[in-house]
Amino acid sequence: MSFKYPVVMPKMSMTMETGELINFHVKVGDQVKSGDVLFEVMTDKIDMEVEAPADGVIDSLVAAPGAVVEIGKPVLIMLTETEVMSFDFGDDDQPVAALEVAAPTSIVEVPIAVAAPIIVNTNVKAVPKARVEAANRGIDLRTVHPTGPDRTITMQDVNGAQLDPAIIKRQEANKALIAKGIEMTRSIAQASFNRRVKANFDHASLIAAWAKVLRGRPDLAAHEHIGVALIIESKYGSALPVFRDPDQATLNDLRTLVASTTDAAKNGKVPVAMLSGATTTVFDLTTYSMSSATPLLFPNQVTSVTIGYESETTKNISLTIDLNFCDFYDGALLLDALVASL
Amino acid sequence: MLTMAEAVREAMSIAFDERPEVFLLGEDVGIYGGAFGVSGDMYHRYGAERVLDTPIAELGIVGAAVGAALSGMRPIVEIQFSDFTAQAMDQIANQAAKIHFMLGGALHVPMVLRTPQGSGTGAAAQHSQNLEPWFASVPGLKVVVPSNPADAKGLLLAAIDDPNPVIFLEHKLLYKIPGRDPVPEGATRIPLGVSKVVREGKDLTIVATGIMVNKSYEVAEKLAVEGISITLIDPRTISPLDMQPVFESVEKTGRLLVVQEGPAHAGFINEVIAQMAGSSSFGSLIAPIKRLAGMNIPIPYAPQLEKAAVPQIEDIEAAAREIVKNWR
Repeated sequence: MSFKYPVVMPKMSMTMETGELINFHVKVGDQVKSGDVLFEVMTDKIDMEVEAPADGVIDSLVAAPGAVVEIGKPVLIMLTETEVMSFDFGDDDQPVAALEVAAPTSIVEVPIAVAAPIIVNTNVKAVPKARVEAANRGIDLRTVHPTGPDRTITMQDVNGAQLDPAIIKRQEANKALIAKGIEMTRSIAQASFNRRVKANFDHASLIAAWAKVLRGRPDLAAHEHIGVALIIESKYGSALPVFRDPDQATLNDLRTLVASTTDAAKNGKVPVAMLSGATTTVFDLTTYSMSSATPLLFPNQVTSVTIGYESETTKNISLTIDLNFCDFYDGALLLDALVASL
Repeated sequence: MLTMAEAVREAMSIAFDERPEVFLLGEDVGIYGGAFGVSGDMYHRYGAERVLDTPIAELGIVGAAVGAALSGMRPIVEIQFSDFTAQAMDQIANQAAKIHFMLGGALHVPMVLRTPQGSGTGAAAQHSQNLEPWFASVPGLKVVVPSNPADAKGLLLAAIDDPNPVIFLEHKLLYKIPGRDPVPEGATRIPLGVSKVVREGKDLTIVATGIMVNKSYEVAEKLAVEGISITLIDPRTISPLDMQPVFESVEKTGRLLVVQEGPAHAGFINEVIAQMAGSSSFGSLIAPIKRLAGMNIPIPYAPQLEKAAVPQIEDIEAAAREIVKNWR
């Protein structure tokens, strides 16, 4: 199956809104390999060569040389045989919503950007000291949620942002991700962390605990909700029902929902509403008696959690993170928080 | 405890005793004791030579004082209501304020013009104005606005010493009120152009002039009980204006509320805001600067409307609460 994949104008600096397409290095029908230069872009700060994210064929050239293209808008479309994910949990007849990558028209709209809370506040109002503080700490005020009168950013908002340089980098990356639309996660630098935990928990309490940890880290979400996809194996393949904001339901309600959804999924039936909106994914390997695995991330997700089997009383929790968003230290903290939350 | 009227009288008396060239002139300052009783018994103590009752002719009164000052005297003019300075404005703004500069510094005009100002007496639009910005916008004049008896005494002594013409604006409602602090005995001067930090707090800086200092002080004391801690600054001299304590305070509190009695439009207190906005302390603000001032209307005669036309304690309290609550 080949995918149409739009290569978009990348965001290369905090202030960049558009880039000028200088020229193409390819023409329609060219075979390209991952890393080949596709086109050159000029911004207010730098000129840059944009490379092919995967092997493939040039399908069409969307922009014309000399055109000024908004970030996130496609410059060319390529066809690629490379899977955009390392897993394909649905079969071709039953595509899981998270896999619906290809239609260029929907990509052109960059629909996910709309849902991203961090770019909502484009016309920033902030008290003077908040600007000083933000400048000192390298915070982009557009990423701070305003709670003051007339949607003005207060000191409390800036202080509450608690952004350290690592998080600022992540937010930068987050915006870049949104700008680019859907990314090939295989090309993302990622890392996994493992910890053995003496604990007993079911899927519902795990999902709730993980959502609670993510709730404290809106910079990792890039969405206004938290959607935990739980992978459930069935004779039809793997299903990924998404539990939205599970930390806001009572545990009993969530248990009932997880149980009924799991039963339905095993029979190949997942409510359509639960097929999209994942922001993180949970894999349970214990039923296979596997102790660990290192899954790659899904598109638009920067975390995934895997539960492996050690013994009746000991589980092996793995956390995979996108290194554009988290550094190793941060990943360790997240894993700590999850264990504590359990 | 002296009232402000008594403190002003005491300062004038000390100056009379210290310098034979000091004298007082104005309408009814003599036998009658002054429209608000400020000169009191001075006519009887110092005689008609030094306490001069004048005709009802403000331009002439101030003109005579300017002439006397040029020829070596130190006149104190009393104008019955500050509203009437409009009659004398040529002498004040074009003569007193300019002569020293237009004659290359050869002459000085060491004159003090004292005049009661402000609303709250039911005297309607022509006897109730606060005209601080009229004078503060004329280079060459110094403008003093005392808020309490102790300051009034020390500032008036300094004003009489000053070689420049000084406009001394006394609020009518303060005349009969003793201050929080006793008036020091003796002839201690309070230098012009030095703001006073009335009280210190960490949550909000209030800059107020004249009677608004007193109202703001009450608010600060009340809110302190609730844990809102307020710094109150009284510039005392609005020209020249000492902003340094304001900058220093706002750097600590991050919030600024300014209060004046006069109309908001082009009012003096706007100068405080402008200087804050242009200073390096601007970056310390964690809240928009809030201004409380009189309405842009002639002071109404009806008592309820007169009260509503200028900031009251409740207004200051509400504004202070709102700033501290909304901007954290």
